[in-house]
Amino acid sequence: MVPLTFFLKVTLRPTGVIALRALPQSKMRTALRYVPPTTIVGAIAYPLLHIAGNRAETVYDKKKFKSAAEEVLNLFDWVTVKTTGKPRLYGALLKINTVYRGKVQSAVTSFPFAVMYGTNDATITAVYLINEEELAGSTYRLEDIKRAAWGITRLGSRESVVSVEDVETGRTDIVETDVTETPYAFLFKGLEVSGKGTLQSVVDWRSGIGDYSKAERMVMFYPEESVRVQGRLRIARVGEEVIVLAP
Amino acid sequence: MMFLSVGVRFEANVEALNMVETAGNYGKHRRVPYLVEEDGKLKTVYVPALSGESLAHAYQEHLVMEALSLNLPVCEDCKRHEFYKSMDEIHLAPKLFLSDTVFEEVFQDIPSITTGTLKLLEEELQKVKKGKNPKEERIKQLEKYIELIRNFRESSNPRDLFVQNKSLAAQLVGDFMIKKKVLDLSPYKIEEIIIKNCVIEDIGGFMYAASPPVRRSSAFQVSYALPVKSVALFATSEPQLHARHAQMDASSKKGNASEQMIYYVETGTALYGFTFNLDLNAIGVSAITSESILDKDEIKSRREAALKALFRMLSSAQFGAKLSRFFPVGGITEVAVAVTEHPFVVTSPIYDDYIARTEKRLKVLKSLGEKYLFTVATGEKVPEEALNEAMNYLREQGAF
Repeated sequence: MVPLTFFLKVTLRPTGVIALRALPQSKMRTALRYVPPTTIVGAIAYPLLHIAGNRAETVYDKKKFKSAAEEVLNLFDWVTVKTTGKPRLYGALLKINTVYRGKVQSAVTSFPFAVMYGTNDATITAVYLINEEELAGSTYRLEDIKRAAWGITRLGSRESVVSVEDVETGRTDIVETDVTETPYAFLFKGLEVSGKGTLQSVVDWRSGIGDYSKAERMVMFYPEESVRVQGRLRIARVGEEVIVLAP
Repeated sequence: MMFLSVGVRFEANVEALNMVETAGNYGKHRRVPYLVEEDGKLKTVYVPALSGESLAHAYQEHLVMEALSLNLPVCEDCKRHEFYKSMDEIHLAPKLFLSDTVFEEVFQDIPSITTGTLKLLEEELQKVKKGKNPKEERIKQLEKYIELIRNFRESSNPRDLFVQNKSLAAQLVGDFMIKKKVLDLSPYKIEEIIIKNCVIEDIGGFMYAASPPVRRSSAFQVSYALPVKSVALFATSEPQLHARHAQMDASSKKGNASEQMIYYVETGTALYGFTFNLDLNAIGVSAITSESILDKDEIKSRREAALKALFRMLSSAQFGAKLSRFFPVGGITEVAVAVTEHPFVVTSPIYDDYIARTEKRLKVLKSLGEKYLFTVATGEKVPEEALNEAMNYLREQGAF
């Protein structure tokens, strides 16, 4: 019998803005509207490493350097996100700022961010499917992962502070189907989608998140509410909802 | 292990705390869109705001003062409140010769270092001289470098010589010793040098964008300060007209001098909320090896400085810009402080239910076996009392 997969469903409340820097950047900085999977992994990696007493954020290996979040990457089989509300991209200053004391020659625009602030309460729900085999081989226990979920402090850049309002845990089995409905982001590959949403090119976290310069990209579909998806699907039920896994 | 999270609400009437740009004689306040959804359509209302960067800058200014009062090291740039944060070789260089221990470690083999540097300088000088349009200024600069490095080789106290010629020495060390790898500094060594020499870069993080790049995330995080949601639509940003006048004598031609200058300052009025987090365990510890770079006592002193700086910033309301003429009328109205063993963030005070939500969420941590302190100042208790309670708790826990 195949063991059921453990999942964490983490409800996050933003402090108004989420600054997700898109790479690569030039003088004109750009931001992502929706949270990419790499950020979801990075967000839980920080409290998880904290619990282990591991303060490393950069790992230098044979003159190469990568993010310490890479160390916990294998603990996750799949990660995805649901966004309620429609974030709006905004940057106050769009002109080039000029030189400071004649020394600093670089010119930058202000940092744009996704605004999640208004009459409606926007929330972000992150789902993590845990690879328990990897977890068993690591220094972490399931309790550590749960505590880490409560300890997510930010998404992306330092001003993107969030609070974790709820953590739901449970077990799910992965099944195949031809059609489903989901409010969660999924890999847009060979699928037919009915409903509103946004396509966003993001770093494929499965290829590693240590160094973005050579990372592979993938296109994710971020539903505005819930969308109907058709195709050869692998899905998992997380609580009352369904997430679509990569083909 | 200790993590501090603070939610702050403050009232600011007629403030100009975060100005972003000027268009002619019009100074604009920072604003952010407030999204109003009506019949499925999104409308935008712009409300005044303060960026996390602005609050972080103010916090680091207070940190400079607190660090210096505790006799902790602060680098020259940070002392001037110019938070370059060792962004390149030139800004890293002065840290190599500010203390005996770092200097002795880095400049162990002075004869070899000076020979290597002189060779590079002389090659560069020849190249400039043989160029099509030799620049006198550059030639003079290189000759000064050569003189300095020769004196350095002969000096009985080479560190003093560099300290006395700090600016020139920083250029020389940065451009010719570090950049050209005469001094082969590993990422670990670079981080250690920076942390030992500057509390602000230890706590506020840095990004050394040279080779090899070294980054250290800030141990504190600050959200934007945004109007509390339930009253955000009452927040205003209103231009105020001001004029400067000059006396004119009768002989002055009209229009020849500006006898009157008018300008506008956009002022904001709102009840703001922001979140501040501080990871006390990150202070003095390497973000590469996880090892402590400093001894226990110094780490404790730096933690104390970090907490006092937050206390001072909130208590004095010294954050944001234009305080000399637009000091906001109002003050801190509410504070909620959570101290936990591992990271945990109070619900943002932009939501009205933030205290109840935070309390409820902290109970989950208790069920996971974690100790915490939660204290709020909303009514009779003043913010200073709540902050003091948190500091006493941290002291009892041995954080400082």
